Amino acid sequence: MTLHLRSGGSALLLGWLVFCGSVALAQRAARPYEPPADYQPGIYFPQAPRPGEWRKSIGLIFTSTPPEITEEIRLLVPAIDVNLQHGLSKNWYLSTRLQTQLVQSNLALGVRYATPVTDKLYAGLGIDGVGWFGALAIKDVFNSQAGGLEAIPHATLGYRLTRDLQLTFRTEAIMDLYYRSTVGPLAVEYDQRRLNGVAFTFALEQPFYKQQHVTLGLRAAYSNFNWQFWSLYDTFERDFFYPQLFFGFIL
Amino acid sequence: MKPFYYLLVGGLSWLLLQACREQYEAPIPYEFSGQTGSGRFTAPVRQTMEGVYTVTDGVGEFGAQVALKWTYVLNGADTTHYLSIFSGNEAGFFNLENDRSVDSLVVRGYWRKLVNTDTGLARLALRTRRNGQLQRFTGTLAVGDTLVLEGLYGTGTASPDQPLTLTYNRPLNPRPFAILAHRSGGRTSDLLSVSENSLNMIRLASRLGATGIEIDIKFTKDGVPILYHDNLLNLRLIQKNGLEGPVEEYTYQQLNTLVRLVNGEKIPTLEEALETVLTSTTLNFVWLDTKYDGPMDKVQAIQQRFRQRAIASRRDLRIVIGLPTTQAADAYRALANKENTPVLSELDTAITRSLDARIWAPRWTLGPQLEQVRAMQAEGRTVFVWTLDEPKFIEQFIQESNFDGILSNYSPLVAYYHYVDQ
Repeated sequence: MTLHLRSGGSALLLGWLVFCGSVALAQRAARPYEPPADYQPGIYFPQAPRPGEWRKSIGLIFTSTPPEITEEIRLLVPAIDVNLQHGLSKNWYLSTRLQTQLVQSNLALGVRYATPVTDKLYAGLGIDGVGWFGALAIKDVFNSQAGGLEAIPHATLGYRLTRDLQLTFRTEAIMDLYYRSTVGPLAVEYDQRRLNGVAFTFALEQPFYKQQHVTLGLRAAYSNFNWQFWSLYDTFERDFFYPQLFFGFIL
Repeated sequence: MKPFYYLLVGGLSWLLLQACREQYEAPIPYEFSGQTGSGRFTAPVRQTMEGVYTVTDGVGEFGAQVALKWTYVLNGADTTHYLSIFSGNEAGFFNLENDRSVDSLVVRGYWRKLVNTDTGLARLALRTRRNGQLQRFTGTLAVGDTLVLEGLYGTGTASPDQPLTLTYNRPLNPRPFAILAHRSGGRTSDLLSVSENSLNMIRLASRLGATGIEIDIKFTKDGVPILYHDNLLNLRLIQKNGLEGPVEEYTYQQLNTLVRLVNGEKIPTLEEALETVLTSTTLNFVWLDTKYDGPMDKVQAIQQRFRQRAIASRRDLRIVIGLPTTQAADAYRALANKENTPVLSELDTAITRSLDARIWAPRWTLGPQLEQVRAMQAEGRTVFVWTLDEPKFIEQFIQESNFDGILSNYSPLVAYYHYVDQ
């Protein structure tokens, strides 16, 4: 294990710190005292919506390209990030998440269980079934499609730092179930079940402006394959680091 | 909560996550003697040995069959022979040399898998199976005899302790096919022992299965064509030295003095690279990938000079200039004299025809394009596909498409699928 802070990483860190700081300032400046509430809007915090209640968020997620694959080209690849959750009972809820760049999309459907451990500490478990698909038809470059299925079980801890600031830590196991890719009429298929990698997420959720709430966070995936980079056809059997920054407005 | 805490949480989480990045390495566990000749492996023995072998012991690691091929490098009038074994499992290969410390037909060396960091030592003895009994191979095969390579392989630097048995099955697929190795033999990111676009990698290419290579051409500030892939000097390709920025901003003298590739080599000039191909290898094809904007006359002059030398020395060697962009095509069109300047076009079929390029090289991500490939071949053109690394697609392209060759970072895998194809 060695410490790395490349120039691209430094820029990301700077942007991340500026964003964290701006949200913090917005929260401190705008909010009069409010009594603590049992339910705060949150997508990552492990607390089920009230039975029958819907929670929605829309935002962006940026994924950094791994230098092992894209070599000297470093990009933050953006994707639209939409979340929808529905309370089933006091502890159980359903979740749906769509990440899309139009030419490639990822849809996750899951079920989650969440419960308070103390007044401030909450815990949750869940599993998402993920389907992703991408299609590229670019003259003289691509005539390719790919898709796959994954399962992502996860465990979450949430802590209320203040009456309305929620910090969440989630750990995920990314399980590959199926992969299929075509170029022209040729196709390859892998249906091996294997652990593709793990991911760790830190998320902050809090009021942002008037009645709005915001999610912002960082997800670090260490995985062999990342669906967003299927078109690079990386063949390394090694885990690479895929850092992701995300923010979303809870509607 | 004060903003300080937000910044602290953000900063610490980022640093924590960055700090856990793993570094991958795959050092070669074997040091080659580099002795010239081939010892007891005389030319008839080497020729007899080449073929497709069935794997009995070692199937789990190396697959059900492998392909064996001898190659050599030249040093003046001396030749040094190596045995390569190509496996379809995870782009695996063996590099072996004859073991002169024993009085029999024994090879030793290492194996490696390119898709990961797996490697280890190997030692194999050549025998014949006659009437079910393994015997010492005397150099000639009687009717009913079968060649068997048997021995041990290990993991990492540990002494070999796992049995490996290869039994001759059939000759290698004799169909002509270009196995073209990317970046002069292989990528630095595949953790090979030598750097991409280096003279050492050119010398290694044949042992990785290549019959030809692609090299990346850029120019120094003072107009010297060199081999380098990226736009910038960066730690992906070179050792840390404080220099950064576009490679074109440095003179050849500066690069030669101050810069070393990740495995310690100097950045070679195009002339040094072609000299190495011509005088040290048996490679028969060089694809000059023009990764610069500007006139092509200097590269053409070098290409023509080495072409003449290859003809004079009766070497089967084609040196072609690759045209990856319309700018490169325009630079080619601007040449005063295009005679004896073969080019390879990565552009569409119409532009390829308008350039009268003898080689067309579309991207593999377009698929087999059977109709266009056959049409171009019917016009006398050679058709290669690039840069194909996905193992299952390599297998399918070899079995189901009509290309004359494949450019790949995994030349051992292309070699395997080509040689075992029936």
